[in-house]
Amino acid sequence: MAEIDKIAAELRPRSGKSSARAARRAGQIPGVLYGGEGPPLAIALNRRELDRELAKGRFSTRLLDLEVDGKVERVLPREVQFHVVTDQPLHADFMRLTAGASVTVMVPVHFVNEVDSPGIKLGGVLNVVRHRVEFRCRADQIPEFITVDLAGRAIGDSIHISAVKLPEGVTPTITDRDFTIATIAAPTLKLEIETPAAAAVTPEAAAAATPAPAAPGKG
Amino acid sequence: MLQPNRTKYRKAFKGRIHGNAKGATSLNFGAFGLKAMEPERVSARQLEAARRAIVRHMKRQGKMWIRVFPDVPVSKKPTEVRMGKGKGTPELWVVRVKPGRILFELDGVSPAVAKEACELGAAKLPIACKFIVRPTEA
Repeated sequence: MAEIDKIAAELRPRSGKSSARAARRAGQIPGVLYGGEGPPLAIALNRRELDRELAKGRFSTRLLDLEVDGKVERVLPREVQFHVVTDQPLHADFMRLTAGASVTVMVPVHFVNEVDSPGIKLGGVLNVVRHRVEFRCRADQIPEFITVDLAGRAIGDSIHISAVKLPEGVTPTITDRDFTIATIAAPTLKLEIETPAAAAVTPEAAAAATPAPAAPGKG
Repeated sequence: MLQPNRTKYRKAFKGRIHGNAKGATSLNFGAFGLKAMEPERVSARQLEAARRAIVRHMKRQGKMWIRVFPDVPVSKKPTEVRMGKGKGTPELWVVRVKPGRILFELDGVSPAVAKEACELGAAKLPIACKFIVRPTEA
């Protein structure tokens, strides 16, 4: 098992938006620690430390040791919220893990042997349907990634979960069907030559094509 | 150019664009994308210009997705017409874009080509945009 990183946090005195905003003003990232046997705790993380862990990748499938006021707990990050414009982290959720706990995690998919795929050689595009797949497994056996072999795949082929060799003890949460992970599609990009007829379509023409609106009904 | 096939009403209010995008703020399909940083009405013509710039730079490789659709009609009065006498005729279709909205997604090309293509596409749009990459998973 990979080395477990340690991340420090402070207790926040209160929960709620005012406390979260105060933490952000102080250069910290508000978060919450829940699950296991302890009570849910409002915490604040060091922004730089969290950024460093996020940059390492696989943040949501890696176990961490979270030190809150001197007490170290084994946790699994469950969610990080990001600002929609700046993409800076706004909040982080951590779940306490108990011994032998099983968890549901989203595991990234890696694709190998793209050069051995006749479909991709012919200009096909690997269309990834699921960049991550949800699995249920023990917390200490979370796979880093699952590998999909593209060797011998032609344009039009679909790669389903049944074609992927999964580690022992790891089961997909979707069990009712053999779901698709990726397909090899023909390239859809074309350098189109604009036709005069296509260019002449205006909103006025589209409006003319619309049926008369129904009689307004009130109440 | 993108436009609705049929609409319930011919003309729409101008409206105002408030706040940040609530949906379509992260990549859903491709590995790269172009994210709006400012609020603005983007016309179908501008979107088409951006799409062409991106596609041409990708040179028939890869795949792209357009995550917005211009479905708001904008009306204009003819030149040298006095004010009043009703609203003008619909002239163009726009999409109201909020900051944080993903406009285009790309996949199947190298990061360098995707970045250059997105920069060329962003130059055709009336708003500041940024190039985004799917976060590393491993």
